[in-house]
Amino acid sequence: MLLSEVGYARPATLEQALGVLADYPGARALAGGQTLINVMKARAAAPDVLVDLAGIPALKGIELGPDGTLELGPMITYTELIGSAEARARPILGEVCAQIADVQVRNKGTIGGNVCSSDPTNHLPPLLVALGAVFTVTGATGERAVPAEEFFLGVYMTAAGPGELLTKITVPAGRSDGFASVPIGVDGTCIVNAAATVNGGVRVALGCVAATPVVVEAPSTDPAAVRAAVREAALEPPSDVHASADYRRHLAEVVAARAVEQAERGA
Amino acid sequence: MTEPTTVAEPIVVEEAETKRGYAGQSVPRKEDKRLVQGEGVFFDDVKRHNMGYVHFVRSPYAHAKLRSVDVSKALEHPGVLGTLTGDEVALLTDPFFQISSPPGAHLRDFCLAVGKARFVGEPVAAVVATTRETARDASELVEVDYEPLPALTDAREALADDAPLLHDEAGTNLTWEGVYEWGDLDAAFAEADRVVKISELHFDRFNSTPLECNGALVEFNRGTGQWTIITNNQFPGFAAIMMGPAMRVGLDKLRFVTQDIGGGFGNKITSHPQLVACCLLARKLNRPVQWTEWRTDFHLSMSHGNERWFQDTEVAVKEDGTLLGFRTTALDDAGAWLRYEPLGGVIWAQVTPGMYRWRHIRLDFKQVTTNKAPVSPNRGYSRMQHLWFTERVIDIVAQELGLDPVEVRKRNYIRAEDMPYETPNGCVYDSGDYAKMLDLALELVGHGGLEEKRADAESRGKLLGVGIGSTLDSGTNNFGQSRLINPELQFSGNNEVATVKLDIFGEIVVTLGTTPQGQSHETTAAQVVADILGCSVDDVNVRAGHDSYWNSHAGFSGTYASQFAVTGLGAVKGATDMLAVEMKKLASVVLGCTPDDIELAEGFARMRENHEAALPFMALGAIINANNAGLPEDLDVTLNCRYVYRPPFQPPDVERKFGNLTLTYAAQVHVAVVEVDPETGVYEIVDYAAVDDCGKRINPQVVEGQVMGATAQAIGAATHETFTYDEDGNLLTPNFYDYHVPHALDMPPLKTGNIESPSPFTSMGTKGMGEGGGAGIHAVCAALQDALRPRGNPIVYDSSNPYHRVWELLSDPESSRQRVTVESR
Amino acid sequence: MAEIPVVTAETVTVDVNGTTYEREVEARRLLIHFLRDDLDLTGSHVGCDTGNCGACSVIVDGILVKSCMLLAVQVDGAKIETVEALAEEEQLSPLQQAFSDHHALQCGYCTPGMLMSATALLRENPRPNDEEIARAIQGNICRCTGYWNIFKAVKAASGQEVAE
Repeated sequence: MLLSEVGYARPATLEQALGVLADYPGARALAGGQTLINVMKARAAAPDVLVDLAGIPALKGIELGPDGTLELGPMITYTELIGSAEARARPILGEVCAQIADVQVRNKGTIGGNVCSSDPTNHLPPLLVALGAVFTVTGATGERAVPAEEFFLGVYMTAAGPGELLTKITVPAGRSDGFASVPIGVDGTCIVNAAATVNGGVRVALGCVAATPVVVEAPSTDPAAVRAAVREAALEPPSDVHASADYRRHLAEVVAARAVEQAERGA
Repeated sequence: MTEPTTVAEPIVVEEAETKRGYAGQSVPRKEDKRLVQGEGVFFDDVKRHNMGYVHFVRSPYAHAKLRSVDVSKALEHPGVLGTLTGDEVALLTDPFFQISSPPGAHLRDFCLAVGKARFVGEPVAAVVATTRETARDASELVEVDYEPLPALTDAREALADDAPLLHDEAGTNLTWEGVYEWGDLDAAFAEADRVVKISELHFDRFNSTPLECNGALVEFNRGTGQWTIITNNQFPGFAAIMMGPAMRVGLDKLRFVTQDIGGGFGNKITSHPQLVACCLLARKLNRPVQWTEWRTDFHLSMSHGNERWFQDTEVAVKEDGTLLGFRTTALDDAGAWLRYEPLGGVIWAQVTPGMYRWRHIRLDFKQVTTNKAPVSPNRGYSRMQHLWFTERVIDIVAQELGLDPVEVRKRNYIRAEDMPYETPNGCVYDSGDYAKMLDLALELVGHGGLEEKRADAESRGKLLGVGIGSTLDSGTNNFGQSRLINPELQFSGNNEVATVKLDIFGEIVVTLGTTPQGQSHETTAAQVVADILGCSVDDVNVRAGHDSYWNSHAGFSGTYASQFAVTGLGAVKGATDMLAVEMKKLASVVLGCTPDDIELAEGFARMRENHEAALPFMALGAIINANNAGLPEDLDVTLNCRYVYRPPFQPPDVERKFGNLTLTYAAQVHVAVVEVDPETGVYEIVDYAAVDDCGKRINPQVVEGQVMGATAQAIGAATHETFTYDEDGNLLTPNFYDYHVPHALDMPPLKTGNIESPSPFTSMGTKGMGEGGGAGIHAVCAALQDALRPRGNPIVYDSSNPYHRVWELLSDPESSRQRVTVESR
Repeated sequence: MAEIPVVTAETVTVDVNGTTYEREVEARRLLIHFLRDDLDLTGSHVGCDTGNCGACSVIVDGILVKSCMLLAVQVDGAKIETVEALAEEEQLSPLQQAFSDHHALQCGYCTPGMLMSATALLRENPRPNDEEIARAIQGNICRCTGYWNIFKAVKAASGQEVAE
């Protein structure tokens, strides 16, 4: 419940933030804190410095390009995204954010924090992988674009390495998207989830079944075909108190088909 | 949640005789004004100058020898004030008194682990520091050399030859066993047309997770040797009996002070080990010591509800569904220590036949220790497990014999005309009409339209099921039942205390011996007092909480076991009746008449025939307290009355295990309607009815509130809440992240109803209520079994049915069915 | 070389319920402990250690948050509202009164957090429907009431009719 001693920095610019991260190898970025603070309470991680990103305007903002591309600042909260007129260009984003936890968490939690924690049960990693988002990672040496599929490296591990920050999430245009999950209780932690998009192919990203989202392409939107494609992925999901590996494997098929069905309805 | 939830107006089927007065009215609560302003005083709100904060170092192993505990580095950490280890504790204290007869009697239980750690989270050492964070930091510097041992995590393996042995002193993990048998089992099974055999049922481990965890602020007065323990322990009578002898001090040296408590539900009864540690530290360090239990600590170490396996059950039943009797083995997993156990081994017997008329019963209760958190009372304590069992039996028998579960219940329910009803083991159910409650509950969910609802659900791809959960809330214990556990024990009966006084300026002041955690004692006590004294509830000041200094307590004082409306209010009524007599006596002396000429009304003691001849309460108070010269020498009036309520109990017959174990029996009949998604095993409760009978209700709103709360907790226990361990003894649900309790969006629509069957055994016809007997668990299990019937008739065999278990029943109904066989005779 | 300071403690200035406080605080100190232990505002409570229960809910710069997942240093310069702000000079607010009228509290431990969540809801949505009410308090765990009376209380406080 009680944190270890930690340093705190309040940068006003991206450069300042990167500077602190470079100077303190054990530093972690503090976004909304809705995950990191709890991790620190449990002392499962003990960064020596927290770099508070809340005061950096460059990390906020939502821009909708003329081609329908959305540029999202990582420090946008779920609530801000849900309320954003621009973000309605890709409605699935707000719909999924509205399913996360509760009002308090949505008011502080950020989309960048959601993806950078790379918790296998999170909502946004599979969603952004399915949508084919691109993440901009910025470090001392400059910027690089990382496709979502390559951004998630493992549990709690992403391509934003030491001294780097996620600085933008770019979501391509599109509307035929779906998301389905089996949460523990309404809006609870996901036992399994799936995001789907039907934009010229049928693309599904499964969450909770591996360390990082698993992409499955189905030959058609036919539920049987989707489920067969999931089976072919030969998933090896974890077993835990909420679900055995077999049950998760089964649920993955079901939520994949449901996500595709929802995506098709939007098409 | 797809529909808005509503609570329909409760339907009162029978009203008790209407009286003028506060009893029976939903008087606004006195507690609310401070609580809605955040001005309640919970233990962690209290501060003392110089207080040190405690952090307990806890074992990461389920079972391990403690080769050494080295606090030297922790002591060097800046801000650390001191430490406590098991070695010290073993010198400074004696092991806690064990309720059990041998071999459980031999357990050596101290406030910190001594020699061995026996569950993950067991306190092994304590560190005290100037801030909370420092204590936490320094605890990491305590070096404990553990030698891990194999862990025992399945009670069914506790008696195997190679099972890890938890307590050498006991020599076995089977720390207590009792065989109970009444009636004539052989005759019953000979008369039976069918014998339904159920190999194994499981009541899962969970608890009520009160939002406030345990904790205390303990001060030691060197001069008097007195500890003041500001805490939220809900049974100070029990805590004192446990702590005093262990600490080698008289009980008056332990002053318990509670004001507001953030929920208890039984889970704040066994904090005495941590309280002892705090007492020792307060004395050792000569400063107040503060302990706050965090959520993970609580889940790991405190008050798990009894986990119970019902093995080799056999039920004797007639073709028409008449139940003759049953035999079963109840294997109870007590966790690592017996802290309130093995009382659970007899408390179930308060409701031996459940709500049914069978007379031939045998239950072999075996309690074993395992490397899990110690169990202790949890809302519905031990009766809930047994009542779940009887309800499962009813449903399984009905299903296997092709009978309607409603009809089987009605055929076998104890009837209103049978009341008071003596059960096979001599308990007396005071009153009730279970069949009427069942009809009401079924009506509330529109049971008549069931088949249409089923068809509608099917059209949406869902399986609909309806289930009944009928249960009892036995209240006001006869502690003599402890002698069925251990004939050497010198406990019996029960008591509760209240004082009522009229102060010098006419203030009415009430003190209670109870420790309410939301049960509205201040309000309901004021209602009773106001009715007797003929004044307004606003004139009655009930002190908040509990304080040993008020001398308003006795051996069994506290708030537990569904009894306040009987014991607490019985004490309040007794004290107030005494005060009323004294007020009339005094008034009669002053006004020159007889006491019978006096009535108490509208804040006056006045002559019935002449309202002008009246004394305000202030006058009476002033006379006795400050102006008493000239009063008759033999005037026996103090206007400060103390009453000890004592329920009419006899010690039970230990040989026959026979006797009345509880005074009142509130009843609950719930009906749940669920819809199961057969593709996933996910289900939703789409309708729910809760019908309650707790006799005369002093404050209906207060009663309904607890009925609702019990319903919500039972739904949580039925669906997601579980304390599940892995095979190494690690708790997989150690906090609210994985242990999912119901949130607002999880709540089904709720319809409530009630009837009032007054108890003939209590002074006001009230019955204790509050625990609720787990009716929601029984109802949800039954509803799931009904829903899944078209999918191979699986048997719901576990009280806990999260989605994965429902999926298992859907995918492999045969496996669950293998637990049940039906023999024809 | 960092251009900005990295501190393990600093002085924070906060406005809580209209009073300004200035305190030295460790960077690691959670806002809930700052409120309860440093400022003696014990109305907000701690019920868990994973950010699930909401007993610590307060309003920071107009936004409802769980104060157990914020550091005190993060709210330097902020305007904070806690349960202690709701009543005006001993007069309960309509929301507080509604909680009492509808028996929406028993032990009272979750109540301050519930009230703050309901306050935030009613500011944004003066006439919420039943689902919106449940959604608004989804982050507040109650073990005593089962929530049903809380739904009624919030509805009543919004001036809408409630089935009694």
